Amino acid sequence: MIVIFAIDALEYNLVEEFNCKNLKQKYYGKTDISEFSQPRTMVLWSSFMTGKNKEDDVLEDGNKEMWNKKWDIKETFFSFFENPVVLDLPGFSYDLGFHGKSRILLKNFFETKNLEKKENLKKEYNKDAFDHHRKIKDKFFKALGEDRDFVLGYFSVADVIGHLNFGNKVIMKMIYIELDEMAEKIKKNKRVKSLIILSDHGMKAIGRFGDHSEYGFWSTNFKDLKTPKITEFYELIRGIKNES
Amino acid sequence: MEKENLRFVIVGHVDHGKSTLIGRLFYDTDSLPEGKIEEIKQICESLGKDIEFGYVMDHLAEERDQGVTIDTAQTFFRTDKREYTIIDAPGHVEFIKNMITGASQAEAAILIVDANEGVKEQTRRHSYILKMLGLKQVIVTINKMDLVDYSKDRFNEVKKELIEFLDKLNIKPSYIIPISAKEGDFIAKKTENLKWFDGPTVLDALDSFSKEESLIDRPTRFAVQDVYKFDERINAGMVLSGLIKENDEILVLPSKETTKVKEIKEWLKAPKEAEAGKSIGIVTEDGLFLDRGCILTHKDEEQPKITSAVKGHLFWLDREPYKKGERVLFKLSSQEIMGELEKIERVIDSSTLETLREDADEIKNREVADVIIKLSSDVVFEDFNDIPTLGRFVLERQDTCAGGIITEIGGKTNVI
Repeated sequence: MIVIFAIDALEYNLVEEFNCKNLKQKYYGKTDISEFSQPRTMVLWSSFMTGKNKEDDVLEDGNKEMWNKKWDIKETFFSFFENPVVLDLPGFSYDLGFHGKSRILLKNFFETKNLEKKENLKKEYNKDAFDHHRKIKDKFFKALGEDRDFVLGYFSVADVIGHLNFGNKVIMKMIYIELDEMAEKIKKNKRVKSLIILSDHGMKAIGRFGDHSEYGFWSTNFKDLKTPKITEFYELIRGIKNES
Repeated sequence: MEKENLRFVIVGHVDHGKSTLIGRLFYDTDSLPEGKIEEIKQICESLGKDIEFGYVMDHLAEERDQGVTIDTAQTFFRTDKREYTIIDAPGHVEFIKNMITGASQAEAAILIVDANEGVKEQTRRHSYILKMLGLKQVIVTINKMDLVDYSKDRFNEVKKELIEFLDKLNIKPSYIIPISAKEGDFIAKKTENLKWFDGPTVLDALDSFSKEESLIDRPTRFAVQDVYKFDERINAGMVLSGLIKENDEILVLPSKETTKVKEIKEWLKAPKEAEAGKSIGIVTEDGLFLDRGCILTHKDEEQPKITSAVKGHLFWLDREPYKKGERVLFKLSSQEIMGELEKIERVIDSSTLETLREDADEIKNREVADVIIKLSSDVVFEDFNDIPTLGRFVLERQDTCAGGIITEIGGKTNVI
């Protein structure tokens, strides 16, 4: 089984700071996403799964519409596999209901001037993010227990929580430790032959909030990828599939 | 009235539960800012986990980073009896440096050992440091008892193993307490889980400790740290012990000149006297030229020792070994003198206590050694047990490479 642990906004520097050994695996580093005008989640995951720079396609109908974009499996490397599971990935199996609500709460948080309302919005936003994380996590580990040749789980908690709480190191550490423990559990699963941990972009501090940083994170146990482009994973995964 | 404060340090092997114990002590004594523990609890629950008290430490570290608490390595909690300061430092090496170099002057220590893992390398090295610093008020906690089903037999096994080692160091712990910092067993409350144990909780044990005798009652020592030249020369520094007053007749060491205190200056104050622990400026009557490193004493009190060679016991902290003949900077309080290790009498492994080499040519990282240090000029020092700041030293290259305690004079003494 090939497994992709896809983590939105996993920041290289925090992986180092919190010493997340399992997320790092044997080889790890930053990805090169400099070919894109901005580190946009939908653009980056679309380019990852298709192996092509999809920035123009994703943005052709404007920023608002990009979240509705959905790629046919034939355009992605998922088609190499017989029974793949792809959970919650933007541009493929994305939960529009949850993520849409999350973006509205975030917008309202920044728009309202009422402090009490701000606090309540933040609580609801954080709670939703954690609930969703647990939901996807359950599905992900269930899939890892099944007879599958490919499983991808996309986890947005570091991004969603990071946007509002990046300045709160305790919360960020708790999330990174959670993700690190998940990586440990994946690695212990005997069905898993190859694990790639990948983020679209990282996160940097803007005051006490967080914004996307201009590189992503990758790690594997089998190859030093140096500073790969996100589009290069398409061929890499085809290669691993063929070898197995 | 201001509450009494006792400073203690928690030592032990990495992952044996130091952070969790600190978090639990703060939680059980209600010493955390409102809302913080709820936030940690809530996120742990959201992630489907039990509350992890270690995150309290992260919160305190974050506060320090943001400058909410001033001190870089201290955190506070209180019981009905007194306030406590936990001395901490990030990382094993920094921690050892802080302990030895005196950045942390602990009056008591908690040695924490994992009930599952037992005594490990850092348990032994840290115990060695406690011995070196002469700490006598020591609580041993056998932690993570929840992971060994609160087994009395396992507790006794670990206790036996530890006592065998501590005996070699002549450390007699005041208490050996089984605990679970995670579950809160025997931290503030005695619990049913450990009903077979009839000793005190950690907080009761801490409360039973006594404060060290105040340094105010010792002979007066003032270390000049800097000299500011305005209309008058202000000798800034710290009162290390005793009490210094206006008009006091003082002796300047090592030069042995005498002068008189004309004025004491403190930030936004003009006190008539200053006691041990105070950072002040002193203006002398005759404007005597003092330098950084001078030690001022009262003429008629017992005087410190002055020598250009000391015997010491040091802990080498640098990856790069010391090789005989190398010159290093010897720092004792504000005194800085170039020197070299004239003789490395004995090198010991601080973990196994085994003598590795005698009359050695080098000391490697984490080794402990008895040495004679030859200095290029006189140093003023005291017995470590009387005035610790004048009895401990560090050696420096680019950075601190060793720390130690002076045990005796190493050559000809310059008696006052």
